[in-house]
Amino acid sequence: MTRRGYAGTYLALALLLIAALVASAGIGAFSFAPARMVRFLLEGAGWLPPNEAETLGRSVFLQLRLPRVLVGALTGAVLGVSGTLMQGLFRNPIVEPGLAGTSAGAALGAALVFVLGSGSALAFTRPLGSFAVPALAFAGAFGATLIVYRVSSSFGKVNVFTLLLAGIAVNAVCGAGTGFLSYIARDPQARNIIFWNLGTFTTADWRGVAFIGVTFVVCFLGALRYQKALNALMLGEDAAALLGFEPSRVILRLLVLNTLMVAVATAMVGVIAFVGLVVPHILRMLRSSDYAFLVPASALLGAAMMEIVDVVARVIVAPAELPIGIITAVVGAPIFLWILLRDQRQGNARFYG
Amino acid sequence: MVELHRVSYRAGGATILSDVSVRFRPGRFNVLLGPNGAGKSTLLRIATGLAQPASGEVRYADRSLRSFDAQELARSRAVLTQHVEMAFPLPVADVVMMGRYPHFGRVPSSTDREIARQALTTVGMAEKSDQPYPTLSGGEQQKVQLARVLAQIWKTDGEGTSTSSHRYLFLDEPTTNLDVHYQLHVLNIVSRLIDAETTIVAILHDLNTAFQFGDHFLLLHQGRVAFEGDSAADLPIDVLERVFDVRARPITDPSTGESYWRFGLT
Repeated sequence: MTRRGYAGTYLALALLLIAALVASAGIGAFSFAPARMVRFLLEGAGWLPPNEAETLGRSVFLQLRLPRVLVGALTGAVLGVSGTLMQGLFRNPIVEPGLAGTSAGAALGAALVFVLGSGSALAFTRPLGSFAVPALAFAGAFGATLIVYRVSSSFGKVNVFTLLLAGIAVNAVCGAGTGFLSYIARDPQARNIIFWNLGTFTTADWRGVAFIGVTFVVCFLGALRYQKALNALMLGEDAAALLGFEPSRVILRLLVLNTLMVAVATAMVGVIAFVGLVVPHILRMLRSSDYAFLVPASALLGAAMMEIVDVVARVIVAPAELPIGIITAVVGAPIFLWILLRDQRQGNARFYG
Repeated sequence: MVELHRVSYRAGGATILSDVSVRFRPGRFNVLLGPNGAGKSTLLRIATGLAQPASGEVRYADRSLRSFDAQELARSRAVLTQHVEMAFPLPVADVVMMGRYPHFGRVPSSTDREIARQALTTVGMAEKSDQPYPTLSGGEQQKVQLARVLAQIWKTDGEGTSTSSHRYLFLDEPTTNLDVHYQLHVLNIVSRLIDAETTIVAILHDLNTAFQFGDHFLLLHQGRVAFEGDSAADLPIDVLERVFDVRARPITDPSTGESYWRFGLT
């Protein structure tokens, strides 16, 4: 709460994000110079007459590149904020949606619709139309997260050892469910599930931008109201209650907001692990564990980091591209192990027992 | 004044508190004593509003505890518990500022900042203001928690003698795990808060420390009040021995005339 110049850090993060966005929008099979991108944007908005010689470039930029960049940035913001919120809820620095079952639950829910959506078993989802995937993803994510939270918390305290084991169990069950669905799926569906389990922005479109964008803004604004409560929860649920908060209500609401945005993002782009872990961790080291700082800052850094990863995914094996989740796991997992090792050396290991 | 009227509490089929009526008055150091499992912590949880009694009522200055909303209550009632661990490296100043959370919206006022600063100075930790909390020693951490609790119920000069100027401070074994220096330091700071509008209730395990600082005693045994009185001298030795299942022998310091207890197993 004490604002010792967070503004400077926000500014630096915002500049990083803008640079990452411009780079990500410009680099790829088609490359675009910044001036050309600005012109396309103005043409797309109807403020400039369209240049007929550039029809292909413009439509690649406006229909493929731009939605992809925005979906990536929004997903990064969602995962960054989600990691921050979950670490606050579980009062531990090593929690993120991939570990606590949230992503796997969302994946299972979404895979159900992919494979069985046209059959009679899921006939009830048909009136939902294109909302069916995010809706079932939310149901799966919320159920999975709630199980992990309930199992790992007792008497107002979260046992992180139990949390991780419960996360493993729930992830395994959801993974088995998703695996079973891809096994019984007809070929194109199965291929979809596999790609999507690794996380990918290749299918990003303006519909995805709208879905993720709206849920992110709503959930982010909601989460901003709980900055003080998240800080107070660091002291434990009783201490938070004694400071005038209602921990069970705060936890349930944050769990819903968090699950909602993770589910929608996962439904659109698949499972992307470790971003939610790494982003808040960097910010804690950089500045502070004050949630009044972490919540907004993790949105900015999450978005910027996802853009950087996406550029890498596109150029590293060009002209092909790697699924995003592979890169985040390859980079994120060692960082996760490093955090564990370092904390063990510093004697912080008690938080994991 | 904090008043418990015919309070009972049950958990898992066992009676933890049975029909306990007790008054904690302001202007003195109320101490809650009793062996493990006597119901002290439960009584404190009920008195602070963390737990609801199965029957009976809690009143703060003649107002039912139920009629307070959580935030309103948090402005006048604070609790210092045993050692609080934090998994995150928050600066000390931010931890103390949490005590002001019930008093401001999104951003602390200059008054809140000033109170947090004064609270930290009161516990002698002003120079550690920017240090990450987890890097402090256990004793220092407890002093920071005390500062947070003091900041929560800090009295500003403008306040008159309205009902809102009443303060309630509860301490649940605040000195467990502290060495003797920090024990005395913490309890001395708390003692200095005693005034006509501040009700202080502490659970203390060390009987000699309790008798040294307390000036009103409530001894709980098996969910009932076994003794209540203003002076340790009034506490019959046989009650003390029976409740704690020990032999107790008073020893008088010839230079001061004060009595201490020496305990042994029966």
